[in-house]
Amino acid sequence: MGLTAEQKWELVDVISRETVKFGDYEPTLRDELADITVKPLTGIPFAIAVLYGFWAFFNEFAGTFLTDGFLTKIFDSNYLPWIQGIFPRPDSWVYFIFVGNPQAETCLEAFGVLTSGLYVAFGVVLPAIMAFYLVFAFLEDVGYLPRLAVLIDTILHKIGLHGYAIVPIILGLGCNVPGVMATRPLETRKQRFMMITLLAVFIPCGAQIGVMRRLIPDQIGWVFLALVIGYFITGFILNRIWHGESPEILMDVPPYRLPTVTNIVRKLIMRTSHFLMVAVPFVMLGCVIVAVMYLTGAMDYLATALAPVLSKLFGIPGDVVVALVAGFLRKDLAVGMLGGIQLSSWQLLTSIILLSVYFPCLATFAMMIKEENWKEFLATVLTLIIIFFIYGIALNFIGTAMGLA
Amino acid sequence: MPRKSLLASIYYAISGIAAMGFGILEMVITFTSGVDGVIWGPLEISGLWLWWRAIILFSAGVIYLSAIKNCLDIHQLAKSVVASIMILIVSGMEVVARVAGSVPGEEGGPWFNPPAVFLATYAPPYMPEIFLLPLSLLVFAFIYRRKKTTGDG
Repeated sequence: MGLTAEQKWELVDVISRETVKFGDYEPTLRDELADITVKPLTGIPFAIAVLYGFWAFFNEFAGTFLTDGFLTKIFDSNYLPWIQGIFPRPDSWVYFIFVGNPQAETCLEAFGVLTSGLYVAFGVVLPAIMAFYLVFAFLEDVGYLPRLAVLIDTILHKIGLHGYAIVPIILGLGCNVPGVMATRPLETRKQRFMMITLLAVFIPCGAQIGVMRRLIPDQIGWVFLALVIGYFITGFILNRIWHGESPEILMDVPPYRLPTVTNIVRKLIMRTSHFLMVAVPFVMLGCVIVAVMYLTGAMDYLATALAPVLSKLFGIPGDVVVALVAGFLRKDLAVGMLGGIQLSSWQLLTSIILLSVYFPCLATFAMMIKEENWKEFLATVLTLIIIFFIYGIALNFIGTAMGLA
Repeated sequence: MPRKSLLASIYYAISGIAAMGFGILEMVITFTSGVDGVIWGPLEISGLWLWWRAIILFSAGVIYLSAIKNCLDIHQLAKSVVASIMILIVSGMEVVARVAGSVPGEEGGPWFNPPAVFLATYAPPYMPEIFLLPLSLLVFAFIYRRKKTTGDG
């Protein structure tokens, strides 16, 4: 039989009375640092700085240095002309599926399996994921993540979660699949359901963030703001309407330690290779499905059929349907596809936010089915659909009211 | 171990006022000039995430100033380390940004920047956090010396 939170606390008191000796202890600098970084007055500004470092490193190392500095050049200036040259008959369906648009000057616009597919997977997503997991492993090994959990505990309690929920959130910012798996330590089914739902809807993965950074570098903050607001409002509502308990958590906060390079490299390799095995096949499959839908006319049919909904309700053109179709497989590919569609900056921002709150990628979907029961899964999907429509209509309203749409 | 030192108090005061001042300046420029920012001689205040950096610098300044009293006390010393790490993060990322921008060549040009362009990337103007970097490093030098004498660090 499991103990309640109160009984656990009582047990802690009993054990500590029996085992802990009290006396004078001179705290070391490391003890003080450990203490000072969980106290709100000093801990919150420090957390803001750490998150800035995380974000800036992600941007500069993955974005500016690897993707913009070298990989985009390799793909657009060398690889694309070469692959366009060696593939025969640009008017054939084989060419269309594998290379895509023969007039394309960049891999992102081409939409072929071997052009957009490879570029998104290896040119944009791989550096982003590597940078993300590198910093994540460092913070994990230093011992900072549990402190972040303690700091954010009060805020997350307002929506029925507790500080530990920060781990699935941060992991989810790398890839939603391990993010969903990381909800297992949460104590009740209610907390797990809430966390999986909020993760699936409001936490963009590192791959998607990498592509967003490339498409809308100046507006990415607005996307995050829209997602954070939605996260807390939806969490607050789910906490009120979903039956179940939200107990306190007992969490071990380890001392700060110097991380070892071997550990960090091992974790980086393990997580990146896991991500590549999950992501790359879906990116390729996404390109094939989109190309086949174009060739068979299914995409035009869908675009025409959904155009009234998309344009009247959300203020975006029917062409965005191509990204919505691809979004079922990979959101990073879907966001990348928006780069090849003629959109105003407001329409682009709206489409990216809608894709963010849209269905998670197929791999995350499979993980959700595994981790949730059917009732919870259907509730998650229903939440997704409701939020998608609320965001679409609200953004169209805001854009029209401000004269931006 | 003494708990007070005039020299250390002066150092905390200077670091605190400088960090807080730059933080306020960055905040003001965020609201007045946006991401384009301004350049005054060797000082550049600009960038997309200026407001974020402003909050960090301002907070680091406040933490330094709160550590002035009994500044060699272990608790106060820990505060100054936290403030210094905050400045180190912001300035370190500025250095990473310069390195990331200096190595690859221009779009349509050579793979790598020629030496002259590479070196020119490191020329002034600099962001305020770069000017704060040497100040923040002094704390670590002090802790290194302290560790050698007391073994704590």
